[in-house]
Amino acid sequence: MPRISRVMTPPHLASRRPSGLRRLVRPALIAGALAVLVAWSADQCKVSLAELAQGAVRGVEVLGFFFPPDWSAMSELLGPALITVLLAAVATPLGVALSLLFGLAAARNLAPAWLRTPARMLIGLERALPEIIILLLLVAALGVGPFPGVIALAIGSIGMLGKLLADAIEEIDARVLESVETVGATRWQVIRHAVIPEVLPSFLANAIFRFEVNIRASVLLGAVGAGGIGFELSKAMSLLEYERAMMAVLVTLALVFGAERISDALRRRVLDGGKLQ
Amino acid sequence: MLTVSALCKKLPDGRPILNNIEFTVRRGEFVGVLGASGAGKSLTLRCILGLTRVDCGRAVLATPDEDFDLTSARGRRLREARRRIGVIFQGFNLVKRLRVLDNVMIGRLGGISPWRSWLYGFTDAEAAEALEALRRVKMDHCAERITGTLSGGEMQRVAIARAIFQRPAMFMADEPIASLDPSNSIAIMKLLAPLARETPVLGVFHQPEMTARFCTRVIAIRQGRIVYDGDPNLSQRQLQDIYGEELDQVLRPAAVPIPSLPELAPAAIEAASAA
Amino acid sequence: MSTAAVATSASSLPYTPPSRLFRRRMGIFAALALFLAVAGAALKFEPWLLITDFHYLVRLAGEMLPPRIELLWTKPSLYSSVAETIAMAVLGTLAGASIAFGLALFAAGNTTPHPFVRTFVRFGFGAERATPNFVVLLVLLIAVGFGPFAGVLALTIGSIGMFGKLFADAIEQVDPAPIEAINTVGATRWQVIRYAILPQVLPSVVANGFYAFDVNLRAAIALGVYGGGGLGFELQLAMKVLRYQDVLALILLIVVLVTLMERVSDFLRRRILGSTAAL
Repeated sequence: MPRISRVMTPPHLASRRPSGLRRLVRPALIAGALAVLVAWSADQCKVSLAELAQGAVRGVEVLGFFFPPDWSAMSELLGPALITVLLAAVATPLGVALSLLFGLAAARNLAPAWLRTPARMLIGLERALPEIIILLLLVAALGVGPFPGVIALAIGSIGMLGKLLADAIEEIDARVLESVETVGATRWQVIRHAVIPEVLPSFLANAIFRFEVNIRASVLLGAVGAGGIGFELSKAMSLLEYERAMMAVLVTLALVFGAERISDALRRRVLDGGKLQ
Repeated sequence: MLTVSALCKKLPDGRPILNNIEFTVRRGEFVGVLGASGAGKSLTLRCILGLTRVDCGRAVLATPDEDFDLTSARGRRLREARRRIGVIFQGFNLVKRLRVLDNVMIGRLGGISPWRSWLYGFTDAEAAEALEALRRVKMDHCAERITGTLSGGEMQRVAIARAIFQRPAMFMADEPIASLDPSNSIAIMKLLAPLARETPVLGVFHQPEMTARFCTRVIAIRQGRIVYDGDPNLSQRQLQDIYGEELDQVLRPAAVPIPSLPELAPAAIEAASAA
Repeated sequence: MSTAAVATSASSLPYTPPSRLFRRRMGIFAALALFLAVAGAALKFEPWLLITDFHYLVRLAGEMLPPRIELLWTKPSLYSSVAETIAMAVLGTLAGASIAFGLALFAAGNTTPHPFVRTFVRFGFGAERATPNFVVLLVLLIAVGFGPFAGVLALTIGSIGMFGKLFADAIEQVDPAPIEAINTVGATRWQVIRYAILPQVLPSVVANGFYAFDVNLRAAIALGVYGGGGLGFELQLAMKVLRYQDVLALILLIVVLVTLMERVSDFLRRRILGSTAAL
């Protein structure tokens, strides 16, 4: 066994590999640490194989209730499905606009320190919070409905898009920015004519990806009251109408698959063709 | 006309890297600044442009309308001053994703309000004038092309078009041909020399044979001081003084010019290695 | 100055004039604005509510401040919640990754026994990814009851979907040369995997693993809200009983936890990836 691996090692790595027993030390340590971690976690979560076996049986039983899916409900579910899509469709441009501001404010080569630090902190803060919590807070203040849903989704986009944008801006060759400065341009002109053209393709691609993510998130948030197919799903489950719930799941599946395809195609066009602005 | 007086700059530990730099550039002049690596030639240019702070001295740009103290100008004043100087760089430093025409039009941003930049952009009239500038550098057929697809020599010509479009009181060039092969270098120098007749050009170069051929005057800097200011044709001894050990490399460029951009026309390599 | 070139039609110019570009851009923005207006109306999304109802947000903020940080020492069960959340994420990631890797071998063109198997498994991955997390959780809640066990299972299944595609793609992109080389020495299938495929995909597996851990940590909290245990569960509990100061304290704790874990996972990832060359 070891002989084969010695044959396969590329020459430039061979000299670095410690020989014999010593090379087992590091992987062994990692494996050991992992084993401890797994054991501890399993204990914390009250993982029990016996439960799992019983649960599997029960689970299969439960799954049985979901089939056959209630096809007649499909026409009723198309409306909520559209709402889910619209929620994401309205929230994403809002989120994009917000992220643009945050991203610009958080870039080391653009923003003054007093703006950059709070902007980065806020972006980090948002990334750490799952959207559901933001929605819960908004619902607690404003009540249920699409409005807090859209806001929660929009704010939720800031973390991902803002960070990616700020990182992309920081990657821009400083000499290009300097060169535009030397014609006498103001900072905002540099942003408009040098920064934005350089980051636009990747920003757009990320935005399109975020739209796809937002559709999934919209379903999740819907369950907590934002409306759409997520709401229908959770309603059906709480009413024990499992076949209807399964239909809702199928519609969701179709929705997400569709969104994924469209997003993939659009992103490829944006990254290859490059929208000229 | 540019007047530089008593310019100096110190390192954080107090040692001077520029010492008492003084010279004047007048109308009709094409001034070449020579010096060994690290002597301070590019630094001088950056100090004049306000890209680096100076510790003492001044650089004053005199235009028909008003005079600008470049070293002490800040904010709006500095932008006004920079508007009147057209700069080209070694790395071309154009926005690669924009069209060639857009890069040229950037030249006049100093005179356009940011509001207009964001809300509307440039006018058709400005675009037509930009095309004229491109015509002067023979790049008008590339107006619609994406800048990143051009070769090094072409990009530098676009950069010059941008500087021309600025309608500046003066041109400055920071090692404009250092990244180009010999034939492109000569093409660029042939563009700059006639420009100098109407508007003075101050350029930093690393090639004394180029400055000898195209410049009207040469200034040499060694270890932060000016050691020569006069006729562009330098004798061997003078070059030895300026460059010291580097002289060999400077006079006989490497068989393959080392580019800072991945632009190397195969024909140019052949030509250079045959030389 | 300008010649009649400006007055000529755009087609004779070697470039698109700015006015034309401007109109195009304005058209796009107008279409977008129109779409937003129509969609917003259909959703009954009333942006002006943000202004009129803003005081509700302020009131909520007032009720949440000051955060009841005393929870940290008055509520010992908080620590077990934190441990639960972390444990859920760890187990979910590890179990999910292991199973996903095994399945990915069936989903990769160069290791699958049959192309039909490949399509089937990949479809399974896609279907799992498309199913909302909480649906899986709800089924599990019925099957194994409330609490972190259901959460772990949900995260495991979710990770399989997430990783499965990534791993399968990585396996497919492996350099075939070492595989051929090992095959010619007469190795078994497992040896081929261990010595030719594994070393090549290991860095991306590890990197994706850490990334997935970050994602799963957030998901663990979110699932907790639906009933999966851990901090999320505590949070929604506090909201139900309107103890908003507890809510803010928990939110702060969550933010600290997630940010900390991100740093830790970054650090560990760098350490481990540095040494995989030795494998």
